[in-house]
Parts: sequence; structure tokens; C-alpha cells
Amino acid sequence: MLDIELCGIKMRNPLMLASGILGSYSSSLNRIAENAGAVVTKSVGAEEREGYRNPVLINYGDGFVNAVGLSSPGAEVFSKELKNFRGGCPLIVSLFGSSPEEIAHLTSFFPFADAFEINLSCPHAEKVGLAVGSDPTLVREIVTYVKKSTSKPVFAKLSPNVNDIVEIGKAAEKGGADGVVAINTIRGMSIDILSRKPVLSNISGGVSGEAIKPIALKCVWDLYENLKIPVIGVGGITTWKDVVEFMLAGAEAVQIGSAHFYSYKLFFSLKESLLAYVRKNEPLKEIIGMAHG
Amino acid sequence: MFSVRVKNVTKHSKDTVTVTFNVSFRSFPGQFVMLNLPGHEEIPLSLSSPDSVTVRAVGETTEALVNIQPGELLGIKGPMGRPFSIPNGTALLIAGGIGIAPLIYLHDYIIGRGGEVKILYGVRTSEELINHRRFENIKISTDNGSAGFHGNVIDLLKVEDRPDRYSRIYCCGPEIMLRKLYDFFKENKLLRKVEFALERYMKCGMGVCGSCALENGLMVCSEGPVFNGVELEW
Ligand SMILES: Cc1cc2nc3c(=O)[nH]c(=O)nc-3n(C[C@H](O)[C@H](O)[C@H](O)COP(=O)(O)OP(=O)(O)OC[C@H]3O[C@@H](n4cnc5c(N)ncnc54)[C@H](O)[C@@H]3O)c2cc1C
Ligand SMILES: Cc1cc2nc3c(=O)[nH]c(=O)nc-3n(C[C@H](O)[C@H](O)[C@H](O)COP(=O)(O)O)c2cc1C
Repeated sequence: MLDIELCGIKMRNPLMLASGILGSYSSSLNRIAENAGAVVTKSVGAEEREGYRNPVLINYGDGFVNAVGLSSPGAEVFSKELKNFRGGCPLIVSLFGSSPEEIAHLTSFFPFADAFEINLSCPHAEKVGLAVGSDPTLVREIVTYVKKSTSKPVFAKLSPNVNDIVEIGKAAEKGGADGVVAINTIRGMSIDILSRKPVLSNISGGVSGEAIKPIALKCVWDLYENLKIPVIGVGGITTWKDVVEFMLAGAEAVQIGSAHFYSYKLFFSLKESLLAYVRKNEPLKEIIGMAHG
Repeated sequence: MFSVRVKNVTKHSKDTVTVTFNVSFRSFPGQFVMLNLPGHEEIPLSLSSPDSVTVRAVGETTEALVNIQPGELLGIKGPMGRPFSIPNGTALLIAGGIGIAPLIYLHDYIIGRGGEVKILYGVRTSEELINHRRFENIKISTDNGSAGFHGNVIDLLKVEDRPDRYSRIYCCGPEIMLRKLYDFFKENKLLRKVEFALERYMKCGMGVCGSCALENGLMVCSEGPVFNGVELEW
């Protein structure tokens, strides 16, 4: 009753693990895959990248500010790690890089992936992420290149830290993206009032969790109105009601990251709650975009 | 996150100190804090009492921490993680090197509640020993024979004691030592009553980034650092 098909990928429910949360090792992905509709790995680049020094994450009332800094072992090492993924659900590999050629080359390392997500949106990594994701021409070119490199579906993950997210979404669509994922974290920071210094080693980072939900919802709403390809909603989703809200706004599926802070059995309990919801209402796929007149 | 001030620094050897804070945390033995030394990194450290950590200098941040002065500010997240369970009979504590840190807290906690504890404490040389005279029921081993039993702590365990006599066994130390103890207790069908405090490279310390995942998918920061023997697949 919860099953969906996203760009040809069959999923048992619309709940996906967001990139960068519990996604660096097959062991944790296997665990989440027991109940998720799909899992997205931590973003990976061509070369090994250290990421920022600790502290890289701070929690506050309504979420987190993080500046992990796209730490990654590099595509070759990561592809070996992902061979231990047992296939409990579809596996989506998240990619980052600084040029169309560089990102497109990465897909060849992951022939076993069910789809790819291009991270065009990390707000706190220099030269990759947002630096490439805020230029519509470059976004279109990146998506075109990546599409040519693989027969698998390709999703573009968008940033809210741009003037007009719809413009970037359209550029991805023109490049041939099979779907867009919105949103990545929103630029933010935190200062310790005793030491009078920024808390994160990188000074600023990206805000995630419940605080950003209304912003993410509006982005999903706008993208749904203006694009033809599927929108995958992410940002602050914590309860089954949030899932329903995002689907009403137009999301075909949702991704969840920060809320795993509360429980690693999150997907199990959301799935059970959504089952109770669909028993009294229509199947989930029928409510997509229903809030639009 | 919040800040505390350093109240006291006690030097044990040239590279190991206990840093005491001006506040005491509501905590249990086995729990750790993410400690941020401004200008350096934020690192995980086990509590060695409700208001202290015991650190050995192995790299940049720990080096700086060993030389910290009273009055300085430290950022703290925590205490976090799953603590040791409390025994209902005599406890055996097995420490290797700086692995003694969380076991000092556990020892004092059990003694403070009228329980009985025996400690086996292995180090490479006698210079590494931390405050061992404060423990009543302790046996020491050194790799070079400079104090106590000549050999490692596992050989000491084999000659010294019958582990099945204890209601619970707690181990903390380098991973090679923990894995050897694991094999030993598995052979002797005692894993069920053994707890291991593990270390993994940690980034967020809050269970979301996934850097400290074990081979079986359990997260050391949020589901450990203490694991029962039967939870590990070594
Ligand atoms: C739950 C837990 C409890 C710990 N308790 C204690 C303790 O009570 N006393 C103590 O002296 N040490 C303890 N450690 C180890 C301590 O965290 C590391 O020694 C410290 O992080 C090294 O930092 P550095 O900058 O000095 O060294 P670096 O120069 O960064 O590295 C030196 C060594 O430390 C390891 N290391 C570096 N960063 C981390 C990290 N974030 N997490 C784990 N290992 C790391 C490296 O792999 C390397 O082998 C504990 C670790 C964990 C995970
Ligand atoms: C610790 C952390 C690491 C993240 N790493 C990545 C990453 O590598 N790639 C990426 O596309 N997004 C990354 N994100 C963003 C999330 O995938 C997600 O878009 C964002 O956190 C909003 O969703 P949430 O509120 O459910 O967490 C990260 C977020 C967090 C908190």
C-alpha cells in the first residue's frame, strides 16, 4: 500500500535515507535498508578528501548545524566498501565534483548502483557543491554529462542557498535529470557565548532538521508547480505527518536525515504509521501534489 | 554544547594527565564526552570520574590537553553513550594502557556502593602506570617485566584467575587486546557476561554522521561505546 515507483525504481515505501547520514559504510546502510524504500550513500568524489576538523556538528533546539565538509575516501575505495551492501533496498550513490567531466567519470565506479544523485548543493565545501550548483548553465552541463555516462536514473540535489531554486531545477530538467531532490542544508552558524568563538571549526555550516521544514516545503511546492520531472522532498522531516505534508506539496518520495538522531528504527515506525494512514485514506501515490488547486 | 573550566591537572607520567573540571556531570561509568579544546580539535574522551578525564598524548589535541592550565575553558558535549552495566557480584576489570580511564570511574562507582572489584592492569613498561596504588585489589602486568607479572594482561588473566568466578567482566584497552580477550572469553563460553568499551574514529559524536559504525552496523558513539560480548561479531 505504500509502494511507489520512482523513475522506474521500485520502492516498498517512499522513505529514503538522505545523503551523509549513516551512509559512509555498508554496515550502517544495510541496517537502514531493512525498512527504507531506498538509501542514498554519503557523497563521494574522485579523490580522498579529509573534510573539516572537529567540531563538525552542533545540535540546537530544532536541528543541527554541520560542516562535515564532504569527507570521503574517494570513488575507488568507496566502491569496494559498497560491495558489502546486501541489497535490502535500492542503492543510490551520491556524487560530487568540480567539473562535468569529473562528476560523470564517477558513475563508472558504481555499476551496481540503482541510481545516482548529484550533490550540487553542499553549502560549506569550496569549489564543489554549491559553487557548481548555483550556476544554471553549469548545472545543465553537469547533468547532461552524467546522463551520458550511465543508463541509470540521475537525480539532481538542489540547494536553497540560491536566488531562484526553480531556475536551477529547470536547468537540471533541461540537462535530462530524471528527478530533483530538494533541499540540501541552509547556510548557518553558531557562536559559543563563553569562549566568544564560532563553534564549528569551519566557522559556518549547513542547517538541517525540523527548523528548515517550512523552507524545504516551499521549495518542493515551487518545483512541483514548474517542473515536469519528479520532486523528492527533504528537509526537517521527522514524523509521518511531515511525510504526508511533503507529498501533498508534490513530493513523490521523501528523504530523511537528521531525524535519525532520535532513533535508528525511524523508518520502521514511519512505515507503520503511514500504513495506518493509508488504511483510512487513499494510497500514498494518490495524494502527491493534492494541495495544489 | 556548554563550556567548563579546568580546575586541576594531575600529572601521572610524562604523557598522561587527569584533567578535573569545575563542574561534575550527571553520568555513569563508561560514558564519554566530546571535548573541544579551542584552537584544536574536538575529541571523544571517557570520563574517569563524574568531573574528570584522563588523557594520554598521542597526537595534536591530546598533546595540547596534557599541557593545559587550570582556569582554561573547554567545550563539552555530553556525557553521552551507553554506560557499563552494574554488576550484582564481584566484578573483574581488565585494562590495557590508557584503557584504565573509564575503569577508574567504574571501580570507584562499584566500591562506593559496597561492591567488590578486582583489577588486572597491563602496560608496556612500569612508567606508564597511572595511580595504580589507589586500587586495593589489583594485579599488574608489564610487557618488559619492569613491574608485576612479566607478559601481557591476557597471560596474566590465564595464570592469575578463574574468570567464571566473576559476575561481570569489563574490558578496555587497545583493540588487539580486546579482540584477544574476545577470543578467550568466547572459547570459555563467557562472552555473555563480558563488556567491551570500544574506540572508533568519531566525527559528530551524536549518532548521525556514521563515521564510527562497527562491522555489524552498530554505532559506537550512540549505541556504545560499551558493548556486550554477544553484540560483537569479531
Ligand atoms: C569513546 C572513546 C573514548 C575515549 N577515551 C579516551 C580516554 O579516556 N583517554 C584517552 O587518552 N583517549 C581516549 N580516546 C582516544 C582519543 O579520542 C584519541 O586519542 C584522540 O582523539 C586523539 O586526538 P589527537 O588530535 O591528539 O590525535 P591525532 O593526531 O588526531 O591522532 C592520533 C591517533 O588518535 C586517533 N584518533 C584521532 N581522532 C580520533 C577521534 N575523533 N576518535 C577516535 N580516535 C581518534 C587516530 O586514529 C590516531 O591513531 C577515546 C576514544 C573514544 C572513541
Ligand atoms: C551530518 C550531515 C552530513 C550531510 N552530508 C551530505 C552529503 O554528503 N551530501 C548531500 O547531498 N547532503 C548531505 N547532507 C544534507 C542532507 O542529505 C539533507 O539534505 C539535509 O540534512 C536536510 O534533511 P534533514 O533535515 O532530514 O536532515 C548532510 C546533512 C548532515 C546533517
